Amino acid sequence: MKRLTIHLLLLSPLVFLLAQLFIFEVNDPIKYIYIVSGITATVILFFSITISMIKKHINLMKFRKDIGLFGFFYALLHMVNFIVFDAQLDLGFIIEETLDKPFIYLGMIAFFILLFMALTSTKKLFRKFNKYHRLIYIALVLITIHFIMAQKTIALDLFCYIVIIIVIGYYKLLQIIVRNNHVK
Amino acid sequence: MNIIKKPSWNLSENDVTPQELFDKRRSFLKLGAASMVASGAIIEALAKDNIPVANLKYIKDKNIDNLKLNTYEQITTYNNFYEFTTSKGGVKDLAHTLDTNNWKIEIDGLVEKPFTLDLEDLISKMSIEERIYRFRCVEGWSMVVPWNGFVLKDLIKAAKPLSKAKYIRFETKYDEEMFPDQSRGVFGSVDYPYVEGLRMDEAMNDLTFMAIGLYGSRLPKQNGAPIRLVTPWKYGFKSIKSIAKISFVEEEPLNTWQKANSREYGFYANVNPNVDHPRWSQKRERVLGKFFKQKTLMFNGYEEEVAHLYKGMDLRKYI
Repeated sequence: MKRLTIHLLLLSPLVFLLAQLFIFEVNDPIKYIYIVSGITATVILFFSITISMIKKHINLMKFRKDIGLFGFFYALLHMVNFIVFDAQLDLGFIIEETLDKPFIYLGMIAFFILLFMALTSTKKLFRKFNKYHRLIYIALVLITIHFIMAQKTIALDLFCYIVIIIVIGYYKLLQIIVRNNHVK
Repeated sequence: MNIIKKPSWNLSENDVTPQELFDKRRSFLKLGAASMVASGAIIEALAKDNIPVANLKYIKDKNIDNLKLNTYEQITTYNNFYEFTTSKGGVKDLAHTLDTNNWKIEIDGLVEKPFTLDLEDLISKMSIEERIYRFRCVEGWSMVVPWNGFVLKDLIKAAKPLSKAKYIRFETKYDEEMFPDQSRGVFGSVDYPYVEGLRMDEAMNDLTFMAIGLYGSRLPKQNGAPIRLVTPWKYGFKSIKSIAKISFVEEEPLNTWQKANSREYGFYANVNPNVDHPRWSQKRERVLGKFFKQKTLMFNGYEEEVAHLYKGMDLRKYI
């Protein structure tokens, strides 16, 4: 029951996106897909790293993999939007843009880290690769830079996102430092 | 079963075209072709849905390029107007605080005598026409807008600039009551008031237009009421909205976006598919309402009219 609720919650941005696209017909659908999928992926992935921090209050450790995979799903949607709708499968254009624009290659690198994590999230492979799953922190840093670079200006709402990200980063760092001292 | 199949040459009565119609087939073909041409008019008629009653008298644009107009709905619900919000869909709901009553335009700088214009007075003296222009944003989207207004050249002539005036500088109103983002200080999206500029020969070009309406009625607030600039061969941000001041100056003015990020937004801001923005390719664009992109034209399709203005200039440097 709890799992179903979480899944439905994580699917709601997709439902919202589809409703906006097909019922309310937004003016610039491709841009809209970028925004919704990008923000959703960012929020879910940042949330996924806070799960171990809040487990004393709300224990979601059991669902961490599901939540992470949903984050990847929205990142995949973001990527498919770029390749299929924005670049219209023009491979030359995709490669040229990726190599040329920091804004795009940072996003690409982050995506491939997430892809690697998604592929190695099965029980068997996770045992072998779990230590590499710490790459999520690099992905999150890249995603944040990519997100800021996508804006024409830093408006008030973006400031809020950045503040939240800094707060999460600060507590996560604290958690890692405390844990390392404990091990000693 | 006993099915009697007719041989293929055995035509039934209703397969035969009457001689009379057969002879008229040329006019049928013409009719078909005509209906295709007229679909432009049908689209225009459909596009006019939800438009306030047209109340401007103007000379109609012949639309020789046969551009398909974006709908009034699209043009008035997707706006970049950072004084209100950076959300393109959100501008429309917030723009009501802009008060366009008794709008004045200050004209100063290198003119024979600085003066203040009453906008309605100015409009009544101008010859109003329609201009169907492509409108291209640096973010990669575009639309086709039927503007109403007058050529800037006519206003410049009336202002009598001195020969020293090499540039023209535009400024939007600064009023924190009217524009919520202006009151946010360092948290504002850009520096205010919004400033734009043109070189005098650009300003005198026949394409350079002062819009006061679209689709035959006065500009909605979200589109830059009561008066805005339109330079169709340049990216949209150059077309400054809600103009309150026009100055004639000797030095190149520092426009808002150049001030914010000169590496990405230059003074000229000419639409150029061969020079990418550092983050977004400019090779193609998406017309609002269409899902797939189309190729961007040099100078947004106005090469013939404006290319001579930039002769000998390195367009990679002068962005």
